[in-house]
Amino acid sequence: MKKSKLFMGLGAIALVAVLLVAADHIDAPGSMGTTADIADFYAFEPEVGSDNTVFAVDLQSNVLPDLAYGTFDENVLLEINIDRTGDLVEDLVIQAIPRDGKMYFFGPIAPNETGLNGTVMVDSPLGSVDISAETAIVETTDGGVKLFAGPRQDAFYFDFFQFNAVIGGNAPLGFKPAGDASTTDDDDETAVDTFDGANTMSIVIEIPNSLLGETTATNVLSLPVYKTWVTTNVKQ
Amino acid sequence: MKLLNIKYMFLSLCAVAALASCNNDDEFEAGLQATCGDGIMNGTETGVDCGGPSCIPCEGDGMEPMEPVMPDFTGTYAQVDFMGRPGINTVLSADGDIKNLHNMSIPSEMQATFQADFEARLEAYHDVYANILGADPAAVNYEPNILGDILNGPMDDGYTNNPVSATVLTTVLSNDVLEVAPNLPTTYFNGGSGAPNYEGAIGLTGRAPQDDVIDVSLILLFGGGNGARFSGQDTDDDGMADLPRLTSDGVGLTATISTTFPYLGAPE
Repeated sequence: MKKSKLFMGLGAIALVAVLLVAADHIDAPGSMGTTADIADFYAFEPEVGSDNTVFAVDLQSNVLPDLAYGTFDENVLLEINIDRTGDLVEDLVIQAIPRDGKMYFFGPIAPNETGLNGTVMVDSPLGSVDISAETAIVETTDGGVKLFAGPRQDAFYFDFFQFNAVIGGNAPLGFKPAGDASTTDDDDETAVDTFDGANTMSIVIEIPNSLLGETTATNVLSLPVYKTWVTTNVKQ
Repeated sequence: MKLLNIKYMFLSLCAVAALASCNNDDEFEAGLQATCGDGIMNGTETGVDCGGPSCIPCEGDGMEPMEPVMPDFTGTYAQVDFMGRPGINTVLSADGDIKNLHNMSIPSEMQATFQADFEARLEAYHDVYANILGADPAAVNYEPNILGDILNGPMDDGYTNNPVSATVLTTVLSNDVLEVAPNLPTTYFNGGSGAPNYEGAIGLTGRAPQDDVIDVSLILLFGGGNGARFSGQDTDDDGMADLPRLTSDGVGLTATISTTFPYLGAPE
């Protein structure tokens, strides 16, 4: 039991005024709605038995009106960080930054410096791909790395408005039950995916694990894993 | 052949081919073809003894250099946004200041910076429903979740002998990185056969677009020892829910995804 229970309870109720969007979509005032706003991050094996890993990063989202959306910013460097030792410090980075209609990729390479500031690893180019419009343009490098950058559907799903009601103390029953997927789900009684119909600016890379190397890091189930995270970085 | 020998051969070729503009950039020396020094434009050359994939770049006379000019990528770039596991900052950071600080942080320092705030936030969520239900907020708290039994094996009384306490859970979550296992199927979380044995349970090997990361998070935060602690139960059998529905938000994937690269559907 915490002594400040009452205070925190009131604090939670006050949250009703705050718009929150997950998974990372416009999560904080500092980056919210900017061209550098990370919307989501996926890391997965593309099919069972594959020797590749896919990293997909969504920047920006038009899930709500008036958000920055639609153009990659040449002053924003995306960095995919990969820790192979379990110390939560990046051993490799893969970078992506646009120039004149192309997305340029660098790495995977040990960064010049770890932490909050960095430079583009221009001596380790990975490849580039024309930024797509509606139809996906895919580039495959000689090393077997697939590259994509362009608008895509926002695959995240969440009844975000009901979540805000829940954490605001305005939903005694909690979340709503699932609706009938075969009908237009616009009544107030069943759950609605706030992200249905939203688009985002995606950067996707599929890379052979051999280019990422062995990992000694493990998850809580003792399985070997890469520990990964993404950052956006603005030119100073 | 040693690089030095190639270099001397290259220099002698330059002397023969007076029209070619030579340089001694090692990058272009290793793959030189014989036609690069024969005084005529042939092979894959785009000028006399220059251009194309095998010879040195051409200069002047309107010839394009072999390699496009690399755009300018100079400068220092400073972090403004961060993401590891989905929803961590959004759900467990209590206010805008903490969310901003989280986005300006590095994972190796996150546990020390955020664990206590995350644990307080987790308890505060439970107080929201204590107040709604008319209960004492001090009496409604996070209960150790199903991870204890999954990780440590089921015990007779479920979670109480294998607790993943609020402190342990928020410690794990505060180290905000997304783990992905090379050469293993991606499973964000799968409780297997469920309580009490969770046979076949696996997870934390990555996150794919179809994964219901919100429901997993809700189960771990509000599901308690059997994963369904607050799931809209009708406890007095009067046909009305007596407990809030907090372990699922009720929605599934609506976007189009693909089994082939780039995996995410064309914009709508």
